[in-house]
Amino acid sequence: MSQRSVAITITSGKGGVGKSTTVASVGLGLAQLGHRVCLVDTDIGLRKLDLMLGLENRIVYDIVDVIEGVSKLRQSLVRHKEYPDLALLPAAQTRYKEEVSPVQVKQVVNELRKEFDFILIDSPAGIEGGFRNAIAAADRAILVVNPEIPSVRDSDRVIGLLESANLDHIDLVVNRVQPEMVKDGDMLSVDRVKNHLAINLLGIVPEDRRIIRSSNTGEPVILDGKSYAGKAFSNIARRLSGEDVPFLELEEGTLISRIKRLFHIA
Amino acid sequence: MTLFNMFNKEREEPTAVTADDRLSLVLSYQRSDIDEKKLKLFQSRLIELCDDFGYDVVGQVTVVPQSKERTTIINASIPVRPKGAPKE
Repeated sequence: MSQRSVAITITSGKGGVGKSTTVASVGLGLAQLGHRVCLVDTDIGLRKLDLMLGLENRIVYDIVDVIEGVSKLRQSLVRHKEYPDLALLPAAQTRYKEEVSPVQVKQVVNELRKEFDFILIDSPAGIEGGFRNAIAAADRAILVVNPEIPSVRDSDRVIGLLESANLDHIDLVVNRVQPEMVKDGDMLSVDRVKNHLAINLLGIVPEDRRIIRSSNTGEPVILDGKSYAGKAFSNIARRLSGEDVPFLELEEGTLISRIKRLFHIA
Repeated sequence: MTLFNMFNKEREEPTAVTADDRLSLVLSYQRSDIDEKKLKLFQSRLIELCDDFGYDVVGQVTVVPQSKERTTIINASIPVRPKGAPKE
């Protein structure tokens, strides 16, 4: 078993906050740093990670096939072409979440620990069976939150559920932050979200139109050198890797930050 | 003014003014599983307590749960004056 192997569930409660986007980009970021990374899609019936990584045409087997013994784990992993240290274990698209149990997912993840340093588990939205499958094998969790009340309230509920499942190491990623709206008082600030949820802040990701483009092209936004969100995801990967990286300066309006952004040093 | 009121009379008072206050309120209710009936009962017990300790309640009593760093704080505002004190 890899000594450093760590399984992290990326969850949120609410759907559409950017969990799969985070998993795809942070996973790729960790692979760029030289780690062996496996992304596990547990959103059975509604898989997305394959599309976000541009791997949808290379899927033969999936996690349900592994659990049912139809395929071996190694056969079911889809390797990234450019980054072979990054693998995807896809979810089944024509099955249901209820067809696998938390114990079975845990067995699969424990098997993956032998080969990978980081196992990122993409959780489905909601707090039902699919969520329980996604947290069963995790050592820690990353909560992706948008700075809006419905998202924060759902996340607060998820923190309670994670803690009751003895998953105490929970980090926060605040996604889709719009500094101008925060400045005008129309959006909750990152500080307020962090204070309300009272968990460690791992990353701040600004709203970025390039993310839509990236999920349509199958190239995670972290590969887009012009994307501010891509830079933020890269920083999250570095923090997970143990580096001490300062948070991005999101004050778009200042001349200094514009210059920094121009030269990709922010 | 009558016309103005006609359009506004259906509008409910907001539960909190800022998004932050609203979030605080929403999280408090969720975390403590507070239901309105319980809160009303709590409010009436506070009024009884004031009576027991020699205070007259002289205004609107409000009991508002608030959330701070995953802890719920119940803020009660009870305007009182000692029993028998002259009215202002």
